[in-house]
Amino acid sequence: MKIKALERSASQSLPQRAGDPTPRSRNLDPSLHPFARAREYTRALTAAKMDRIYAKPFVAALEGHVDGVYTLARDPGRLGVVGSGSGDGEIILHHLPTRTNVRKIKAHDGIVSGLTFTRSRHILSCSVDRSIKLWEADAETDTVVEEDIDPDRAGPSVQKGGAPVRTFMGKMAFNSVDHHRSEAKFASASNMVQLWDETKTEPILNMQFGNGAETVLTVRFNQSETSVLASTGTDRTMCLYDVRTGKAERRVVMALRANALSWHPTQPTVMLLASEDHNLYTFDVRNLGSPTQIYKDHVAAVMACDWSPTGEGFVSGSWDRTLRLWKEGDGRSVDVYHGKRMQRVFATQYTADARFILSGSDDGIVRLWKSRASDKLGVLDGRERASREYRDKLREKWRHAPEVRKVERQRYLPKAIYSAGKLKRTMEGAGKAREENRRRHTREGEGKPKAERRKVVLAEQE
Amino acid sequence: MEALLTNAGPSKPRKYSDGQKRSFRTSGPDATVASIAGHTSLPKSLALPEDDMPKTHPADTKVSSRFLQSRLSRQHVQKQHAVLARKDAELLLPDVPGGLEAEGELERTWKVGQEDISNEIGLETARSRRDIKLDGGDYNLRWTRNGRHLAIAGKTGHVATFDWQTGNVLAEIQLRETARDITFLHDYTMFAVAQKKYVYIYDANGVELHRLSSHIDTNRLEFLPYHYLLVSVGNTGYLKYQDTSTGQVITELRTKLGACATMCQNPHNAVINLGHQHGSVTLWVPNMPKPVVQLQAHLGPITGLAVDSKSEGRYLASAGLDSKVKIWDARNWGKCVKEWQPLESGSGGIVEWSGRGLLAFSRGRRVNVYASNTLLDGNSKPPSLYMSHHLPTQTSSIRFQAFEDVLAVGHAAGFSTVIVPGAGEPNPDSYEADIYETRGGRREREVRGLLDKLQPDMISVDTNFIGSIAPAIKRPYSEAAVPFSRLPRTERLRIQGKTDEPMEEEDDDGDDATQEDSRTEKEKHKMRGKSKSMKRFLRKKRKNVIDPATAAVKAKMAAIRERQEKQKGISEGNIEPERKGALSRFRKP
Repeated sequence: MKIKALERSASQSLPQRAGDPTPRSRNLDPSLHPFARAREYTRALTAAKMDRIYAKPFVAALEGHVDGVYTLARDPGRLGVVGSGSGDGEIILHHLPTRTNVRKIKAHDGIVSGLTFTRSRHILSCSVDRSIKLWEADAETDTVVEEDIDPDRAGPSVQKGGAPVRTFMGKMAFNSVDHHRSEAKFASASNMVQLWDETKTEPILNMQFGNGAETVLTVRFNQSETSVLASTGTDRTMCLYDVRTGKAERRVVMALRANALSWHPTQPTVMLLASEDHNLYTFDVRNLGSPTQIYKDHVAAVMACDWSPTGEGFVSGSWDRTLRLWKEGDGRSVDVYHGKRMQRVFATQYTADARFILSGSDDGIVRLWKSRASDKLGVLDGRERASREYRDKLREKWRHAPEVRKVERQRYLPKAIYSAGKLKRTMEGAGKAREENRRRHTREGEGKPKAERRKVVLAEQE
Repeated sequence: MEALLTNAGPSKPRKYSDGQKRSFRTSGPDATVASIAGHTSLPKSLALPEDDMPKTHPADTKVSSRFLQSRLSRQHVQKQHAVLARKDAELLLPDVPGGLEAEGELERTWKVGQEDISNEIGLETARSRRDIKLDGGDYNLRWTRNGRHLAIAGKTGHVATFDWQTGNVLAEIQLRETARDITFLHDYTMFAVAQKKYVYIYDANGVELHRLSSHIDTNRLEFLPYHYLLVSVGNTGYLKYQDTSTGQVITELRTKLGACATMCQNPHNAVINLGHQHGSVTLWVPNMPKPVVQLQAHLGPITGLAVDSKSEGRYLASAGLDSKVKIWDARNWGKCVKEWQPLESGSGGIVEWSGRGLLAFSRGRRVNVYASNTLLDGNSKPPSLYMSHHLPTQTSSIRFQAFEDVLAVGHAAGFSTVIVPGAGEPNPDSYEADIYETRGGRREREVRGLLDKLQPDMISVDTNFIGSIAPAIKRPYSEAAVPFSRLPRTERLRIQGKTDEPMEEEDDDGDDATQEDSRTEKEKHKMRGKSKSMKRFLRKKRKNVIDPATAAVKAKMAAIRERQEKQKGISEGNIEPERKGALSRFRKP
């Protein structure tokens, strides 16, 4: 007779020495893990709730401007430095790690309408006073000394004034300026799009579509096809230019004008437009007949937009005093940020590490936000990171469960925005109902519904 | 890439020093293959066994969104991979189960006594066999989920808890009133006792914490550890659920089946099984006022019930005063899987499943253990006896210790522990139930357990309903029934069976009949407004008028029809084709 019984010894299952972790045993047999699915679901729900509990997106308010902030720029070579331009012609360079102003320049007589960093630690600013100015933006920002970081004394560490390195004069007010990705060239927008060399005082190229005398609002260089430019104008158009041919190539006319424009950081054909009609649109420039996606959630004109450097999503700022975060290809916003004192948002910018978002608003404050609301700042313990990753995965896996989805999607908005959204939905519903009624009473085959995407572009011109 | 693939080659079966081929893979996949696997589709010769599986989810028409469909499909594939990976991981389990194995033809495992076993096995395990004499009456026992602590309650009110690993007594109290049942709550620090009138909760030191005055005259207690629910049933016939984390009574269900003294829980779906006086077994969930299943299991009162946890709660064993033991399959309650009459004298008895699927049955002073392989084999023979043990007095409770080969038996003169080799699961999962749980570990588990607490409304017979897609709502379409009074007379007579229709004959040429039927069944496409009297009049009037245009069209149609028929005849060979040519006029008619 063979006889064998289980033998257990505590010495194998307990830590060998004091301070050692307790040995763990694993057995994946499902009969030892009852309710695996139900427990995982409960954990996912808890994870979703915890994510909302920890959602504190606001990081800091960067003060210094007297007038509203209408433009922001990040330095492609440095993580911690951003520039902001305000309505009274002042430019401030902010140092984000210390949240201090490192340089304050009274640059222009009018509103600073455009701001961009060059590849040599200089900053270009343009204004409605018909000038573009090149400024020194080095300012020893990489080595801020400890003594300088004193919140009580905002003054001494700030370098003031100084003369511009170079001034470029134009005939009309400038609305936007953007620097070339690698070469020492930049483009400006006034009544036409002009290409400038940093070393020359006259533009090297003037481009406009036909003989259009309309104002150009924004101009942006493509990030990967670096000789392609795009602009938007007050004539409700978006226009594409090629520097190599020196011509405006094609343009589209929309129902309302686009306030801002942003090229995808990695995909050269993808472009984002922030429109006056409360929506954002992504276009594939190879097919300008209709947008690839409409992004609807804002309840007022969208004033600014910027792609995340990862290219997965983007941020938009609106006249309705909110910022919204979006995923590419998902028509509803992922998150919405608002502040009690934040006014109309005119400029938004991702930082180069995609962890933070900057917003400039009418109230003269540059705000720093987290790009993921529940992120924890500072060093993460290994165990904490593991548990965060586990929770994220759970949320993703169970996001279709109704309870989880509800927790994930629900946001409390200021009453004005909420009621504006409600009103907008009502109006849209009424419009749809009216359309439907009209269709029902027309002869069959005549009142075909038109897809929302087909309504965006009115005309495509070459 | 070509060079890379040819160098990688198909993975060869590994050779072992003893010359045997083993079926399992001991090493991971080839590093080279793994490095390119993410970017390429591998040729068949390189494919790992996992890749033989279907890649997609069977098309689910309930899901309209393509994106969701693809996500579900991906999850389905991942799940299948996980099952395979889990099978692979079984190799890593360190311990093998114990057992008794007969070597000769004449040896019988049930002849082996406890003394023989104690002599053969290690000292440590042999020491866990004990006989403790107590004078508290019939003892009820309960282990904690990790099998480390034991609680006993004597009929006359002697209650004690032990740390069985160290052999320490934690709490010992004399209640001086009847104690009918005892159960630990989520861990050993709290236990509930069903006393003469109410249920009381005590802490690890035996200090009374709560008196649950809503549980009156309770016979049996169960604790659902993942839901934190204490369940009681008693002479009043009410099944009561109380949440022990919040203190709320969740629900009280009236069974309407009289006093109840037999209860067990299904550890895999938290369904409570009750055995009643007239031989029925009922299954309860807290969200339904009626039992989800009610079956007439025995011809006398039920005395013992137990659910097998090894098979994920699939099998239920029941014993009744009709002196039979039955095993039921939860997938098909219509017929029991096995039924037999144990040879022990008397009737009734209690049953209990071990962690590896052995069934213990006790009646009178005898405890029998049956081997799992003969319990579920589906034939009508009684299962083979695996072990048998005799006790000094009548038994009142049998409980297997989790993760050990030990069966604790409570009886009228104390309790004993019996060694049953092969009863316990050898490899516990320390994230689920840790045998050597430290103080910190226990605290952590308590907090995590509360965070992961399942809601009472998640209890259902099928635990996988969570996260699965709800079945599409069925909208039965039926034509509005015409009331009997409005039917035509023939119809009414037909329904009443008063027609004198000729009997249908069995005819050989069935084909013709069906053709005939199909001709008559042809639907008439009547159009509304077609036969208004004015229109009918006009149509009739039109018949007399010979319109030259209509006549021409009719003639043309007739000519076409004739030509087509001729063509058809030619193609079928019935008509000679008309020969054209100069000599055709000489053709004979």
